[in-house]
Amino acid sequence: MKNGERMTISRATAAHGGTIGLHGIKKRFGSFQAVDDVTLDIRSNEFFTLLGPSGCGKTTLLRMIAGFELPTEGRVLLDGADISGLLPNQRPVNTVFQNYALFPHLSVAENIGFGLKMLGRPKSEVGAVVADMLKLVHLEGRGDHPVTQLSGGQQQRVALARALAPRPKVLLLDEPLSALDLKLRKSMQIELKRLQAETGITFVFVTHDQEEALTMSDRIAVMSEGQVRQVGTAREIYDRPADRFVADFIGETNFLTGTVERTEGRRATLRLATGATITAGLPDTATPSGAVTLVIRPEHADLVTAGAGTMDGTLGDIVYFGTDTHYHVHLDDGTDFIVRRQNSRAGSEGDAPETGHRIGVRFSDNAAQILKD
Amino acid sequence: MAIDARQIGEERQRKEIRDRWLLSAPALFLIVAASVGPLAIVVLYSFLAPGNYGDVKWAFSTEGWFNVFLSRDIFDGTVSLADAHFSIIWRSVKLAFITTLLCLIFGFPTAYFIATRTPHTRSLWLFLVTIPFWTNMLIRAFAIQEAIRSEGIVNTVLMTLGLISTPIQMLFTDFAVLLGMTYVFLPLMVLPLYASLEKLDFRLVEAGYDLYASRFGVLTRIVVPMVRPGIVAGSILVFVPALSSYVIPRVLGGGKALMIGNLIELQFGQGRNWPLGAALSVALVVVVLFVLLFYVRNTGKSGGGAHG
Repeated sequence: MKNGERMTISRATAAHGGTIGLHGIKKRFGSFQAVDDVTLDIRSNEFFTLLGPSGCGKTTLLRMIAGFELPTEGRVLLDGADISGLLPNQRPVNTVFQNYALFPHLSVAENIGFGLKMLGRPKSEVGAVVADMLKLVHLEGRGDHPVTQLSGGQQQRVALARALAPRPKVLLLDEPLSALDLKLRKSMQIELKRLQAETGITFVFVTHDQEEALTMSDRIAVMSEGQVRQVGTAREIYDRPADRFVADFIGETNFLTGTVERTEGRRATLRLATGATITAGLPDTATPSGAVTLVIRPEHADLVTAGAGTMDGTLGDIVYFGTDTHYHVHLDDGTDFIVRRQNSRAGSEGDAPETGHRIGVRFSDNAAQILKD
Repeated sequence: MAIDARQIGEERQRKEIRDRWLLSAPALFLIVAASVGPLAIVVLYSFLAPGNYGDVKWAFSTEGWFNVFLSRDIFDGTVSLADAHFSIIWRSVKLAFITTLLCLIFGFPTAYFIATRTPHTRSLWLFLVTIPFWTNMLIRAFAIQEAIRSEGIVNTVLMTLGLISTPIQMLFTDFAVLLGMTYVFLPLMVLPLYASLEKLDFRLVEAGYDLYASRFGVLTRIVVPMVRPGIVAGSILVFVPALSSYVIPRVLGGGKALMIGNLIELQFGQGRNWPLGAALSVALVVVVLFVLLFYVRNTGKSGGGAHG
């Protein structure tokens, strides 16, 4: 992919992304409840991500927006109008499929122009849009190539161009990057963000990769077992996870238990099982009392000499990750706690902690967040 | 003594190739003994003179081939084109072509239906498709004859209902021959079509709908190009035996709706002109070869179904 070269398409920037409303959506396959009462509002021009483990219902939800599945209950709205009963070819919504689903018997240009041709647009317009699209995805001069001879990354870009060419109000992307290798995936993430910004089309992106979701999305809906657990920006979801599932699924997390002693505004003072007293943030929608679970991200904690921190323990495994190192601490009350330290070249080897030694863990008051349940 | 490893490797490779030839030997023997050999005899007979009571006289003659294309008047010896032969050959090609088309029209939806069932029920449907093979073709032809003859069940029902007052003449018409051949050859179309459709990636169908294609658009622009190999295979499997079909036109076409197979039979039987029969047989083989060449060349070029 060529960097620096910024294409701006006048027709594209004029587009207005549609809004999607999902109202009480349920989908049952036989006895399996794939989607269980989902209500979501996706805003115009938004990069919205459905994030969750496989089988959580995110793809089923996407397929109901596309029209490939009909909801057992509930309504799908596009720009406020009910589209629940429309066929896929009647919805101004296009999909980038997981394995691209390019038409192998057609050339690159024929693939990209397929939607417009089916819409009955004149040949000259189809040709012009296809040329624009080839530029947009950096495939100039490849129009005549058979799609079967393209690399994975190129096929991915053809699939994107094909779905964008008819100017849908909403673009649906079903794990489009999962088949690419890491490096290509990173550059396609940037590419997707650029395309979304330039076209102004609402993107609904499905992924199980939390890092992909965090780096690309305006907002994320975290799903599990057919339900939406939390909707928010990447920062909201990472810093203030609503429940144990979200905290566990997004990033690495330490769970501690404690008892709330008193609350003051959106903060609570609580006593940990280890005996230490700390303050922690309360969840957005509830004010729990009594025994609670709280989460602390590994990078928000640090290692100190035993007795100097909030809790003490014995240092277990040390795992080197290149940019940082994970220290596994067995706390004295029996729980395991991970501390992440960024590696720096200047770091002196002398004070490096050693496995088996007594060690202290310290974290700031802002680091701890209490969970709803 | 030093052993040359490369020499041993080459020796082993040569042995492997020889072994593979041995594996195919039974099939090759059958092909040569049962197909090429008899065909050579037929070609030879087409250049001999007819015997008085059938059989051949061992004398070179082009009379057989002459009679395929031309006919000599018995009384004044004037030579004219053998119209009867040409019209029968043309009829045969026409009926075989229409049969192929009908099998395609009826077979495609059937194969599509089977391919879109759950894997478990598919085998049941395929099994049902093959059931007609259990009964001899001759018996099935007579069954059709029984159904469509003037006093048969179809005419009886129609007359009882008062829809018609006199029986419709269906037996011994082109309709009867087409009905019989389509019925008999339909499984030969369904099975290769199913094999292609079963491999079809139905996400491509979804992609087509997603990109605003109608049902017809998805069928003609995505499904048909993707299953082209199956269509080609099925068409060949139907067309070739339909062209040389013998039992069906004999039973359902009677003496009026002759096909080339019946004409050949006539020369070896009542006609007592084996060289002419042999020449007609060779001509049929040549027609089939040309049709196949034309078909394969025209359908192979578009290169559809790269994933087929």
